[in-house]
Amino acid sequence: MSGIGSGYDLSTTTYSPDGRVFQVEYAGKAVDAGGLTVGVKCVDGVVIACEKLVPSKLHKPGTNRRTRAVARHAGVGGSGYTPDLAAVADRARAECANYKSFYGDAIPGKVLAERMAHYYHLFTLYWSVRPFGCSTLLGCKDFDGYHLYLVEQNGECAKMRGACIGKGKNAAKTEVEKLKLNEITCAEAVKELARIVYATHDVKDKEFECEMSWVCDASDGEFVRVPEDIAEPAREAARVAAQGDAMES
Amino acid sequence: MIPRRTAHERVIGPGVVPHGVDPEHDALYRGRTARGTVTDEVLRGVRGRPFTIDGKAREKAPATRTQTPYVTGTSALGLKYAGGVLLATDTLACYGSTKRYKSVERVKRVNDKCAIAFTGELSDFAYVCDLLEELTTEDFCEDDGTTRDAEEIYQYLTRVMYNRRSKFDPLWNSFVVAGYDAKGEAFCGTVGMIGTHYADDHVAAGFGNHIARPIFREFYKPDLTEEEAVEIMKSALYACVMRDKQMMNKFQIAKVTKEGVSIGEPFAVPTEWGYEKFYNPTKFSPGGW
Amino acid sequence: MAVKYADGVVLGADSRTSTGTYVANRASDKITPICENVWMCRSGSAADTQNVAAYVSRLAQEHAVSVSSAGADADEGIKCDVKLVANITQKIAYQNKDRLQAGMIIAGYDRKLGPQVYGIPLGGAMMENPFTVGGSGSAYIYGWCDDTFRENMSKEEAQAWVKRAISLAIARDASSGGVIRLVTIDATGVSRQMIQPIEQPLCDEELPAVKRS
Repeated sequence: MSGIGSGYDLSTTTYSPDGRVFQVEYAGKAVDAGGLTVGVKCVDGVVIACEKLVPSKLHKPGTNRRTRAVARHAGVGGSGYTPDLAAVADRARAECANYKSFYGDAIPGKVLAERMAHYYHLFTLYWSVRPFGCSTLLGCKDFDGYHLYLVEQNGECAKMRGACIGKGKNAAKTEVEKLKLNEITCAEAVKELARIVYATHDVKDKEFECEMSWVCDASDGEFVRVPEDIAEPAREAARVAAQGDAMES
Repeated sequence: MIPRRTAHERVIGPGVVPHGVDPEHDALYRGRTARGTVTDEVLRGVRGRPFTIDGKAREKAPATRTQTPYVTGTSALGLKYAGGVLLATDTLACYGSTKRYKSVERVKRVNDKCAIAFTGELSDFAYVCDLLEELTTEDFCEDDGTTRDAEEIYQYLTRVMYNRRSKFDPLWNSFVVAGYDAKGEAFCGTVGMIGTHYADDHVAAGFGNHIARPIFREFYKPDLTEEEAVEIMKSALYACVMRDKQMMNKFQIAKVTKEGVSIGEPFAVPTEWGYEKFYNPTKFSPGGW
Repeated sequence: MAVKYADGVVLGADSRTSTGTYVANRASDKITPICENVWMCRSGSAADTQNVAAYVSRLAQEHAVSVSSAGADADEGIKCDVKLVANITQKIAYQNKDRLQAGMIIAGYDRKLGPQVYGIPLGGAMMENPFTVGGSGSAYIYGWCDDTFRENMSKEEAQAWVKRAISLAIARDASSGGVIRLVTIDATGVSRQMIQPIEQPLCDEELPAVKRS
């Protein structure tokens, strides 16, 4: 037996002698390898931006979305394996519909986040299943206002003001921490997030699309794509800024 | 705080674990309510106790499925015109023959392309609305630029209704579906309680079949203007309110156009009771009542 | 019955429970707490409505505890949204409509929507109304209620209105009788009243009640 796991990394049902569950940590590596996802909670809503890596020029722009609405008032964006992300988003949709059908009201952000975390966690408990290779940011509006939750591949769940997952998350986090999240509006955040996504994009990587969605006052509390007339200028400015930086260095 | 255990149990629904599954959790719950004022003063005994709904037992229970409607709406009408489709209902929901709820909106906007109006049981209509709401939420989440059109909603409803009647557990409703089909042409159809359905230039569900449709047949022509269509609709509603005891003189007309769905404010139609013969009903008919 | 007033709700009921002609309980309590701020008026089968109330109470409270971030303070009692409680009740009534004889009214006060009254009649429909009446006696007082109801009554006016309505129902309905129970709910909390026949408004062709010595 050799290698980092020393044989304790084959299943989620066995701890290593120092108390780690390697499979879940490896799933985290899959998340880190996926394109960046950044989300911030602003005064008037939540914005989530994704660096969607495009493996081939033959891909049709706008397809294979990384941010998805799961109900009218809530949506997720995430990093990692996109099929896993789709499975988690589907589950989140089912949870929203399920809650609505029983309690007659839209699911509150906290409940949805906890149920998603619960779902993630279930997949870290049995040898017969593989933990999800993705983490998600959840943007939501409920009676108490707007919320951003980070739901991770290991089943952790936290309410955030800003969060980054995926490739280049540390650099992005430094940038997000500089934002005045208590003052910034969603319209401003769109520009900032676009800038962060372009600035942290690794030029060695393939083509990418900067995909942005929000749930905010401007969208009437619905989780939708940021309208192109707002998103595209933000992307363009970010593109120019990123090229400028590249020239300087 | 009481630790929350989640489960997806078919009968009790989401977010709660049945009593008895987790003794530790139960103990916490019991201890808590017994200590607090919740049980002692507010809930007083039995009401605070966690209950279990036995899902398996419910499934096994003998099916008694014939129902009767309790709270009902009467006729719903639909009429095409040059620029779209009109829907009309009154705003009454009857409890037997008691005029129980007088401000019920019996028209539902499904999406920009479709609205439906119903007759029959109010609670079943609420259930159908929930189903349609789930469909439109699905459309919203997919965000692929398409939404279900009126004809699709109509076909969907025929399946729902026929499936339920085939379980001998019908939804006690009929519907008028109005809007636009996939080709962008105006659509107007009706779905019955057991899944019967047809589309036409004008339709009626419920008692209005007998009263409003003859009027539609007489006055309908292709390319009615909106004003003409509203006038025909109002004369049909007038006939309905005179001759359908479950109808009240408080109506809503909704229209579906290319611009979307708009549901109008409630209004009353003018009536006439001041005829000479009404004052003196037996004057020209000796021996009459 | 239940009615909204300016800043709360008043629920009212008589106290008669009968099996056939026999009065099984002459002082029953048909106004049942679901949680601190939401109460239910029950009519129809007592067995059915008691059990539905118990289910609803349990589901609503468990939900309330699961969504509250701080954890409800036991001394304050568990509070729920009125609409949520009404929805749970409606779901149970609707899904089991072929098994239940249960007409229920859910009324209460919450910080989201203020005072609310929901009627859930026999088939499992649900209607929000400024006031609603239900049960056997209700048929006799629809006209009076429609005629005399005003929006934004004061608390005292609303209580007097409910008291009068129920006394009129008792006067004509053999299935209603006994004391009148009132529950008043507003932002500050809950209060209960019981009105003996001797204190009730007198109706036509009846003699004043006399206390047993």
